[in-house]
Amino acid sequence: MAKKVQLRELAYARSGDKGDISDIGLMAFNKENYEILKKQVTVERVKAHFGDMVKGEVKIYEMPNINALEIVMYQALGGGAPRTLRYDQTGKSMGNALMRMEVEVE
Amino acid sequence: MKKVRVGAGSAYWGDMLDPAVELVEKGDINYIGFDHLAELTMAQLTRMKVRDPSRGYIPDIVPWMRAILPTCREKGIKVISNGGGANPEAAGEAVVNLAKELGLTGLKIGVIIGDEITRERLGELIAKGIKFKNLDTGEEDISVISDRIVAANVYIGCDRIIEALEEEADAVIAGRVSDNALYVGPLMHEFGWKFEKPYWGLIGAAVTIGHIIECAECCTGGMSNIWNIAPELWKVGFPIAEVDENGDAVLTKVPGSGGIVNEWTIKEHLVYEIHDPANYLMPDGIADFTKLKVEEIGKDRVKVTNMTGKHRPDTLKMGIGYEDGFIFENTVICPWPNAYEKARKAEEILRERLKMVKLDADELRIDYLGINTMLGSTAAPLPPDYEPNEVGLRVAVKAKKREEAVKVRREITHLWTLAGLGAHMGVPPDPRPVISLWHTLIPREEVPTRCIIREVK
Repeated sequence: MAKKVQLRELAYARSGDKGDISDIGLMAFNKENYEILKKQVTVERVKAHFGDMVKGEVKIYEMPNINALEIVMYQALGGGAPRTLRYDQTGKSMGNALMRMEVEVE
Repeated sequence: MKKVRVGAGSAYWGDMLDPAVELVEKGDINYIGFDHLAELTMAQLTRMKVRDPSRGYIPDIVPWMRAILPTCREKGIKVISNGGGANPEAAGEAVVNLAKELGLTGLKIGVIIGDEITRERLGELIAKGIKFKNLDTGEEDISVISDRIVAANVYIGCDRIIEALEEEADAVIAGRVSDNALYVGPLMHEFGWKFEKPYWGLIGAAVTIGHIIECAECCTGGMSNIWNIAPELWKVGFPIAEVDENGDAVLTKVPGSGGIVNEWTIKEHLVYEIHDPANYLMPDGIADFTKLKVEEIGKDRVKVTNMTGKHRPDTLKMGIGYEDGFIFENTVICPWPNAYEKARKAEEILRERLKMVKLDADELRIDYLGINTMLGSTAAPLPPDYEPNEVGLRVAVKAKKREEAVKVRREITHLWTLAGLGAHMGVPPDPRPVISLWHTLIPREEVPTRCIIREVK
């Protein structure tokens, strides 16, 4: 039977910035977890998870060679580090923020 | 097979010096790269140069070079630095004088110039019909900022670093060369790789290797998911890439140093700030990170193979810094009991006060420190009976005019008395001027660069 787990159970994440874009690298612990992330960590779910924190589009790129997804979120950092009012100007905590998203596992 | 060992000596202006000294003394390296520049640094340094034409470079470059140059000369290690910042010529002069003082006669310093685009030149390029579309916002019309521009610098590639090394420079001082080029340059020089078709895959490997190590401690246990098992981070070792002429590399660090190099510390950096992993755009090439293999081959040794890439882009990235108003921020801390309720009441009082003084701001942001400052709307809902020991009310404002930001500074001060009993804050700082960045592209051929060789007499 499927149960729900937080992403922190399946993967690591590290995030950073370029201008107003927040990038999250989501690294699955293994191939099996990667397949789960690939199916369930979708553009729609990421947008819904971050809500009004991410104002622009979201793109997700696959890196099957290292079992990772690269999540690229536009207009996500309050205009970018120099001028943002976010305490976390460069979005280093955006990866942590993603870890609470839940996915279904068998 | 020929091998070259390159080390990363700095990730930012203000990074630790001791791991760089350790690298030159014990790292058995051929090259050491120093990245001192972040996105905003160029505008700050340009302002320094405007006030004093002998400044505008990273001041650390002098004490850093003092600490390593004699050992580098003794061991034949070449130094590549972007610490020239907004004034590589003045930085070169300072390093030449230092080398004289240290008795390093005959030392050759390569100084790279040409990354700066002056306001006049920018005007000429606009008149020529080049559009400097904003990469972040899509705005086409740069005239909205043209009277507020502080500095424009292009992320240049490693062409002149290679030239300096061909001229047998012992140290290369550049301005806004890309961090990545600090490492691609030495590898292309050593292995004889050219910007030609047969080499694009190998250059892609060099771009990948440069990317992995360019943030120094960030691939050896810094900024890491495995922070809790990375040993002795207070004496973290900076990374070394041992590169084969076939483009494979082993990532490692000095034995006995702190930190860790394993599968995860390398993957963490591979995925860091890259956008499309199949097209990682750098001035010297476009790397593809989706085919490479990462393999632990020993303690603190990770092998990366099958790296590849393609032709370098025809345009270069340019950052234009412009004056963009003022930001003020401060935090009021409210203690138990009822810490959260006190903070919410303080917010209400402040917002009403700001209406009374008719604040005219672009944006006002309020966070609850300890509740949602970092995680925003993804933060977990508070349990119904949650009684935190303390909660901070963080207030930040951005306004076009300084006096509007000062209004918030003045009004937040009143929370010392008006917020619930026990609340306290540090002395509110002055508003800071904001320099925002307009990121855009410029055709490569519009950015002529030059290398000047200085010899220490």
